[in-house]
Amino acid sequence: MTEAALPAPVTAPAVDRERLTAIGFVLPSFVIIAGVFALPLVLLLGVSVVDANGLTFAHYKRLLGTPYYLGVIWNSLRLGLLTTLIAFLISYPAAFALARARGALRAILLATLFLPLAASVIVKAFAWTILLRSDGIVNETLIALGVIEDPIRMIFTETALIVGAVNIFLPFMILPIYAIVAQLDPRYAEAASTLGASPVVTFFHVILPLTLPGIIAGVALVFSLSVSAYVVPTLLIGEKYPTLATTIAKAYLLAREPGFGAAAGVVLLGIAIAVVALSARLSREPK
Amino acid sequence: MSESSPHLVVRGVSKRYGPTTVLDHIDLTIRRGELVTLLGPSGCGKTTLLRAIAGLAQPDAGKVELAGRDITNVPPHKRNVGVVFQSYALFPHLTVAGNVAFGLKVRGTAKREIDTAVERALSLVKLGHLASRRISALSGGQQQRVALARAIAVEPDVLLFDEALSALDRKLREEMQVELRRLLQDVNATAIFVTHDQDEALTMSDRVAVMNKGRIEQLAEPRELYLRPASLFALNFVGLSTRIHGTVLAASDGKVDVETKVGRLSALGNFQAGSPVIVAARPEQLRLGEQGEANSAAGRVRSVVFQGSRTLVEVDAGAGESLLAELSGRDGAIPRVHDEIRLSWPVTETFAFPMEALG
Ligand SMILES: Nc1ncnc2c1ncn2[C@@H]1O[C@H](COP(=O)(O)OP(=O)(O)OP(=O)(O)O)[C@@H](O)[C@H]1O
Ligand SMILES: [Mg+2]
Repeated sequence: MTEAALPAPVTAPAVDRERLTAIGFVLPSFVIIAGVFALPLVLLLGVSVVDANGLTFAHYKRLLGTPYYLGVIWNSLRLGLLTTLIAFLISYPAAFALARARGALRAILLATLFLPLAASVIVKAFAWTILLRSDGIVNETLIALGVIEDPIRMIFTETALIVGAVNIFLPFMILPIYAIVAQLDPRYAEAASTLGASPVVTFFHVILPLTLPGIIAGVALVFSLSVSAYVVPTLLIGEKYPTLATTIAKAYLLAREPGFGAAAGVVLLGIAIAVVALSARLSREPK
Repeated sequence: MSESSPHLVVRGVSKRYGPTTVLDHIDLTIRRGELVTLLGPSGCGKTTLLRAIAGLAQPDAGKVELAGRDITNVPPHKRNVGVVFQSYALFPHLTVAGNVAFGLKVRGTAKREIDTAVERALSLVKLGHLASRRISALSGGQQQRVALARAIAVEPDVLLFDEALSALDRKLREEMQVELRRLLQDVNATAIFVTHDQDEALTMSDRVAVMNKGRIEQLAEPRELYLRPASLFALNFVGLSTRIHGTVLAASDGKVDVETKVGRLSALGNFQAGSPVIVAARPEQLRLGEQGEANSAAGRVRSVVFQGSRTLVEVDAGAGESLLAELSGRDGAIPRVHDEIRLSWPVTETFAFPMEALG
């Protein structure tokens, strides 16, 4: 009792000051996020459920009840999932190679990763259309080599879309994984091996769980970028592969249906949030 | 298997990294249940030798045998060698119990057996109450114990400790030395302990291997190592000593007479007349005053350091030579700084070593 009475008055102000400092640090970003993101989101949500006659769920019924729009949602999901999966499969070993590289090689590899980030998505997507066109470099080369006689249709296929998306979003997968792998103490793997774990067991029970935070970050980034990509599907596949993002653009720019566009936006956001939240959950409970 | 049969045998193991020879034909034989310390200065190859035994570094030449099996080309996960790393390398994504269970789990041990073994290992290191803790929520000493529990849970044929105690503060380290030694004896573990702390080596081990530049200079029991150092390096590395330069005047069956700048001294050793040598004695052998046949030298006291039960007295014997005596209060009055004194010590406790560059 006496113990409890003594320290309390001494420590209480210190804690309060700490808390105040913390609030002080968070406040500016809180204001910005609240103003720039939260407010528009609330408006978006409002527009999607309100029309001239009051509250309505018609837009959502149309989105989730029409086969065409279910197809659109599926296209977005497919784009997001395939891009994320392929980007992960390429990035994971690449991150280890990058972490193992030394000196000039490492600098060059990192530069090739960072430099494309400086170019706009539109430029990169256009570059892919130039490469993949019927009279593009890839087809011309294959014809010149005698591999094929007539140009293969590459542009405006799903393959072109995924190849382009993977290429453009790849750094967002490699960098977070690399950041974790570069910090990974080789002693963990050595300790596992002396405890009897084969390289394969060590990989699945030690390396993979320890690099999971990087994977989660990469997956969250690449999925939310690719599921909502607008420029990439527009330029690389076009009309025949409508996604939520292109549907939103159409609703606002052509059809003048802001309510429907808002609803599509909410669905898209919901998908992205669901995946990111799921990832975060997985990273907290590795076992 | 009998207690004295060789359990771990390292035969002519060499290892080079680029142009540097890190291990130079190492031979080391350890009996079952024995605790051997590798003692040596930084960079002498202690960690590399442990890694070669654990299979984490492939030697360029030589063989390693463990429990009657040639393991030279066996990968680490099939060696059954336990390692406690200096940084502990505990898995941060697992709990304390998860770490200790790891080795058994990957061996496919049945769940119930694992639980019993984990409980046993944790109670040995007195951490049973922390089984479900995260690693990041442990103190350094507790992490050290978890690392030990994790290593002993799989009952390895030999346990290797690479400066496992050096991250702990001095008081905790000294407690752990005693506790660890008792624990290792309880489970009859064969163990190699790497350290560059001579007190730790003398406290912990049945035998100490003094390493220098990739070689083992001497492998002996702590007492013998201190009383009968085999080389100047071993003499210097373990304990304090008085060292005086001189030239051999005459030699006769294991004894030499040496001319030095502080007078003529006798010492144990085999040398030809005219060889340059260093004559050495441990400080507790030096006494105040003359004693019959003993070696003796005089000088002016340079410093007096009181250390509780004993007092270290350093004497300037002139000509750049100095004497170091460890006097206990029972020897009568302790001299003061600037006193002129004479010290003497028995010939049988005086050694001559070839003059060589100290490593
Ligand atoms: N992977 C490696 N590549 C190149 N050189 C190495 C490597 N590992 C160790 N060495 C070198 O081998 C020598 C012995 O290293 P080792 O780690 O065995 O020393 P140590 O006796 O454990 O020293 P310390 O007490 O400082 O830990 C050192 O000179 C070190 O620089
Ligand atoms: Mg070392």
